[in-house]
Amino acid sequence: MTLLSDSPEIVYLDHAATTPPDPEVVAAMQAVLGPGGTFANPSSIHVAGRRSRRLTEDARAAVARMLNVEPRSIVFTSGATESNNLAIIGAARQRAHRGRHLVTMRTEHKAVVEPFGWLEGEGWSVSWLDPAPDGLLPAGALEAAMRDDTALVSVMHVNNETGVVQDIAAIGELCRSRGILFHCDAAQSAGKLPLDLAGLPVDLLSLTAHKFHGPQGIGALYLADRPDVHIAPLMHGGGQERRLRPGTLPVHLVAGFGRAAERSRERMRDDLARYRKLNDRLWRGISRLPGIHRNGDPATAFPGILNVSAEDVEGESLLLALEPLCVASGSACNSQTGEPSYVLRALGRDDRLAQSAIRFSFGRGTLPADIDFAIGRYRRAIRHLRAMAPPAAA
Amino acid sequence: MTAAGPYNPRVLLHFATPAHAGDLKRRYPVELEGKAADSASGSRVVLAAGIDRQVFREVRFRVFGCPHLVAAAEAWCHDAEGRSVTAPCAPAVTDLMALLDIPVEKTGRILVLEDAWQALLKQLDREPITEPTTARHDQQ
Repeated sequence: MTLLSDSPEIVYLDHAATTPPDPEVVAAMQAVLGPGGTFANPSSIHVAGRRSRRLTEDARAAVARMLNVEPRSIVFTSGATESNNLAIIGAARQRAHRGRHLVTMRTEHKAVVEPFGWLEGEGWSVSWLDPAPDGLLPAGALEAAMRDDTALVSVMHVNNETGVVQDIAAIGELCRSRGILFHCDAAQSAGKLPLDLAGLPVDLLSLTAHKFHGPQGIGALYLADRPDVHIAPLMHGGGQERRLRPGTLPVHLVAGFGRAAERSRERMRDDLARYRKLNDRLWRGISRLPGIHRNGDPATAFPGILNVSAEDVEGESLLLALEPLCVASGSACNSQTGEPSYVLRALGRDDRLAQSAIRFSFGRGTLPADIDFAIGRYRRAIRHLRAMAPPAAA
Repeated sequence: MTAAGPYNPRVLLHFATPAHAGDLKRRYPVELEGKAADSASGSRVVLAAGIDRQVFREVRFRVFGCPHLVAAAEAWCHDAEGRSVTAPCAPAVTDLMALLDIPVEKTGRILVLEDAWQALLKQLDREPITEPTTARHDQQ
């Protein structure tokens, strides 16, 4: 049986790792980079600089509209990893006088886990909360972890591996009632799920453009316009971005980010409805195989992600056998390690199921035909690898 | 490791078309099996050999493991076939890893192959290689 040589064209179902830029985003960036483009430094006061400034402020307004907040609450960064670092380390430093206790979950992205780990090494105390088997933060767990010296709570909105959606409204309310700053990593939800921050008790929120058909290399940190929401900068060297993130703004990336935000506002409702259909179609197709398990609660998960584990199949071999289907084994950020996903292990999956997990994630261009291809490829790969495997007792 | 990615072309070929995967296709006067596992990676290997007139006529594998282990098992079985049982030299793991560009951190799981082969050879010591004068090919 030849697994790899036919169907040479790729089918891309790894949109939780990154998405192809929308053609209108590309056009917006080309208008900046091409002949006669708005190349000038937006901090310059001459006419060319003012044009760039106008363009970046228009983009900031577009991102702000997507979140229903004021433009001045948006600070551009290089992406969600930087936003998370800036929010977590910046808030911890700024609020060290209040206390040196922090709270987060074990299922956060490494861009949150590692800044917290770094702070732990610097003397802060961190409470790491375990999820329930459905991936959600258990009721009462956060309140039980809170202390008088808690300075910051960070809980992600949509999990990057399972798509589990946390109740950030309830978490934020609890934090606000105790005067604790609440940060949310929304890298997987911004531009994909409605986020009305005017009505949500979120103080700091990280997002990135490339997860919703914008360019790579640009993101933002939202800071609520409230007197107690202050963070310390991590970098120094200029007054840009309210002195929180110095450095010349990449005008073409900012322009692409703004256009991606506008497109998301236009398309979000339709995109979500399509993702639900694609998710159902894929699960129906692959769950007919025996020994297939869905990771995360489908009732509450973001429909753009479907994470499944297979019994008696080795994860790395499965990933290769699925080619030219492009999917993720665990999250793309830690798939190089070969370790079973720490997120799935935190959900109670044993190592054998966690290591066989495949994450399918959909984007604006995903078609039903792509799902049908994925179903066929997955079923074939599972059968092939199981046929090659020794009996479980061997 | 190649510039094109983590798998060299031989690994891709062996993984996609593992000619020696599965069970023995014929019956042999002497049939042996060796098993081994690596708890760290969860890898498991079963090797089966069919011996006729003192020669490994057919060697097959079953593997639960990564693509490198699958490819290594395929190469191993291919190499072992045709060898005499009186000189059953296995390919050196280091040679196999060089041939397939297997990352050094995977050495543990590739050694499972050697363990399975050694387990198989131990049975050879116990099995009397007293074969009929005519090979049993009636079921081929």
